[in-house]
Amino acid sequence: MALRAAMLRHLRLPVQTLTLNRPIHQSWFFGNPTRSMSSHGDDHLDREEVIERVLSVVKDFPKVDPSKVTPDVHFQNDLGLDSLDTVEIVMALEEEFKLEIPDKEADKIDSCPLAIDYIINHPMAG
Amino acid sequence: MVTGLQKQVLGLYRGFMRAARGKAPEERRRMEAIVSAEFRRNAAAVERKNFMYIEYLLRRGARQLDQLKSADTVALSTFTLHRSHSSSDDASSG
Repeated sequence: MALRAAMLRHLRLPVQTLTLNRPIHQSWFFGNPTRSMSSHGDDHLDREEVIERVLSVVKDFPKVDPSKVTPDVHFQNDLGLDSLDTVEIVMALEEEFKLEIPDKEADKIDSCPLAIDYIINHPMAG
Repeated sequence: MVTGLQKQVLGLYRGFMRAARGKAPEERRRMEAIVSAEFRRNAAAVERKNFMYIEYLLRRGARQLDQLKSADTVALSTFTLHRSHSSSDDASSG
């Protein structure tokens, strides 16, 4: 069982890395030179990609009606979640972006806009 | 409005969910379901102003989480033992 978990974890990593890196590499090799220069050495994720992945994590949350999820929603006011659900969503975002968000920061993230901003500004988000 | 006590409760909840992450998928789901049900049960049953009792539950929860984490260490050593067995099996068969 534990071995299966370890294997699953390994299986999942390359897939995420590929989908993450493919567009970036394409723009390096085939995109215009100005753009490749500006993104060189910058590991920050693209804003659109962050928004898309944050929204998909929130939509996948069992208690959420996916049709209500937009980049502007507040987890409790707009999606009818409680504070425990909010903790779970923030933790699901940690796993999606391979981050560990300290309690002090995690306590503040209660909406999609705050989650998106936090992740975009986080140098380690992957 | 989030009070200091509420933050502590949410912090404890996060601690339990983090501990569950280290488990195998089935065990993780089971643990998350138990923890979630227990927190929600108390959220509904305990009077919000009953600070003494909430503080007692927080202390009890923190203690349980500590025990869970030390149980984790035991599980990890079991896993290593099991893995070394299976890798020697692999070596002899292949």
